[in-house]
Amino acid sequence: MSYKTTAKAGPRRDLAILRKRLAGYGLLSPALILMITMLALPIMALVTLSFWTQNGFELDRSFTLANYWKMIKPSADPTVWFGIPFYLDYPVPAILMIKSLTMSLVATIAVITLAYPMAYFLAFRVTRNKAAWIILMTIPFWTSYLLRVFSWKIMLGFNGAINSGLIYVGLIDAPLEFLLYNPTAVTITLAHAWVAFAVLPIYVSLEKIDRSLLEAASDLGDSRWRRFRRITLPLSMPGTLAASLLVFIPTVGDYVTPELVGGTGGTMIGSLVQKMFMSLNNAPMGAAISITMMAVITLLVLIFLTLVGYWRMRARRA
Amino acid sequence: MQRIKFIDKMAQGKVSRRDMLKSAGAFGVGALALPNFAYGAEPLTVMEWAGYDDATYYKPFADKQGTPNFSIFSSEEEALAKILAGYAADIMHPCNDTVGRFVSAGLVTPLDTARLSHWNDIFPILKTIEGVLDNGNIVMAPADWGNSSIAYRPDLVSEAFKADPSWSIFFDDSYKGRVSMQDNAFAIIIGLMVSGKTYDEVYNISGDALAAAAKEWGVKAIDNSRFMWTSASEVQQALASGEIVAAYAWNDLVKNLHADGVPVEYARPKEGLFTWFCGLTLLNSGKGDQAAAYDFIDAWLSPETGKYLIESLGYGHANQKSFAAADPAAVAAMGITDPISMMESSIVFRPLSDEVQVEQARVWGETKALKL
Repeated sequence: MSYKTTAKAGPRRDLAILRKRLAGYGLLSPALILMITMLALPIMALVTLSFWTQNGFELDRSFTLANYWKMIKPSADPTVWFGIPFYLDYPVPAILMIKSLTMSLVATIAVITLAYPMAYFLAFRVTRNKAAWIILMTIPFWTSYLLRVFSWKIMLGFNGAINSGLIYVGLIDAPLEFLLYNPTAVTITLAHAWVAFAVLPIYVSLEKIDRSLLEAASDLGDSRWRRFRRITLPLSMPGTLAASLLVFIPTVGDYVTPELVGGTGGTMIGSLVQKMFMSLNNAPMGAAISITMMAVITLLVLIFLTLVGYWRMRARRA
Repeated sequence: MQRIKFIDKMAQGKVSRRDMLKSAGAFGVGALALPNFAYGAEPLTVMEWAGYDDATYYKPFADKQGTPNFSIFSSEEEALAKILAGYAADIMHPCNDTVGRFVSAGLVTPLDTARLSHWNDIFPILKTIEGVLDNGNIVMAPADWGNSSIAYRPDLVSEAFKADPSWSIFFDDSYKGRVSMQDNAFAIIIGLMVSGKTYDEVYNISGDALAAAAKEWGVKAIDNSRFMWTSASEVQQALASGEIVAAYAWNDLVKNLHADGVPVEYARPKEGLFTWFCGLTLLNSGKGDQAAAYDFIDAWLSPETGKYLIESLGYGHANQKSFAAADPAAVAAMGITDPISMMESSIVFRPLSDEVQVEQARVWGETKALKL
């Protein structure tokens, strides 16, 4: 009897656990299927493609590291770019990667500088109609990204708003030509386009700060600036860091912004990848470049996060 | 081109509410009417240059079968990559110097000219031009031809340039940031021609010579260009505003800007004026009905299309009857209307081998990437 009951209870319990697990996976499955089919599989395909080579119109499917080797193959004869010598046989991807990372970094810093005061204002100064303020700040999102880039073209252009305005006021005689078609134009456009993305995470972390801590700091004699530096800024760091990653990672690979406002000097790594896949007809090389770029960004983000963790630990010990 | 003109006008706020409504209405009606034309087989897919998707260019086809699907490209290599990646298109619009790429990629079905009613009216010289024939097969039905030269603002360039126009304006530091080349490796070839070489000597340059020329002339063209243009409307607007004073351009740009009252001239540079011949190619990747594809090509060869090309774009047409049908004033404004004398007095673009084409494109891409 007892043998029979345990035999019965065992499978039943297993079944219950299994059912629970299945329910878990069932709940996860829409997201999981989407992630696998839309993200994991394409990336796998890209990785596979990067180990093949293009031979005229044919794809050579034998495994090789040639594409990766091509990017780091040294050369005795350096290519000088912006005063930096590159001892590489094919320096274009390396140079464009460094250029893209620099431009994104500048754009990210600009975004944070713009977004932080906005978020601060929202968290500490606005007391009524907060929702309305948040909606107002997200208004730029209501138009398509392409339209926003185009409107910057109209703003910065030869006959654009800035130039016509300055000429009308009489400050300049001829339109300023350094506004459009250069890396600065790309950085300005990127900074504007991504500000709204950064405001929300920073706002959330500022909003969460316990106001009594600020009061305590003031009571104990901290000036406003000291209070900000010692309480507000450290406590809002998680949001600020999240915001900077949120802006930095996608902007490095941006394609459409440099294409429209970058002119001859504003190309970024995304343009090269697009050219490889399209007009240069070398998809495997394009795949290798994107995989390398992905790896470089991952590495940089890991270093950044490790450093942040280290600083925090040191700050806690002190 | 009509479509671009409309967009320009819209951007300048010159379109009245009525015109706007009319266009919007036409678009809506067109979208609604589309399914009525769908019959049996899949609809035709045509790869075209921007602007050529206007129904006026294939009116005899449009009247009977409606609008095909269009895919717009800005360079033949881009279109080629798209087809190679699996895009199913029935018809492509390459030029005599680029059709060979599609042939080598094994994408082309030779044309049966007996199925084209206007074939006998085509200028005989165009039927044998380099690129049109491949092993005795016609791989491209010649349709439109025109020039590539310098369009400039006579009010903004120097007298010296006007007296003796030269491609050297793109490499002249006194015009830095005020000219625009097309985004194409061809800029290097033009640089070499400025240095005194002939087109035939340098058009298929490759290897170390190409690398050296890219460093010398390619870099210069990129540095001096305000931007390297990829869309004709972009360069048109920049010339109209005076942002640039000279640009590599096709005939239609001059025609369009004249229509808008912008002073602009088309130069005959001392190094030479270029002539291109383009046409329609039947692709074997298409899923559409082949009879419909022939109808579409035939429509492009019709004198009505030629008349419109001549009158609205200032381009030449492959059909001899087009010139009789067109407005004599428009024909006279074109200057040379006979492809034979045009070929004799200008430089006809020549096809490159696949290897050289790929190499030139790669070197050009690298040269551009290194610009700060």
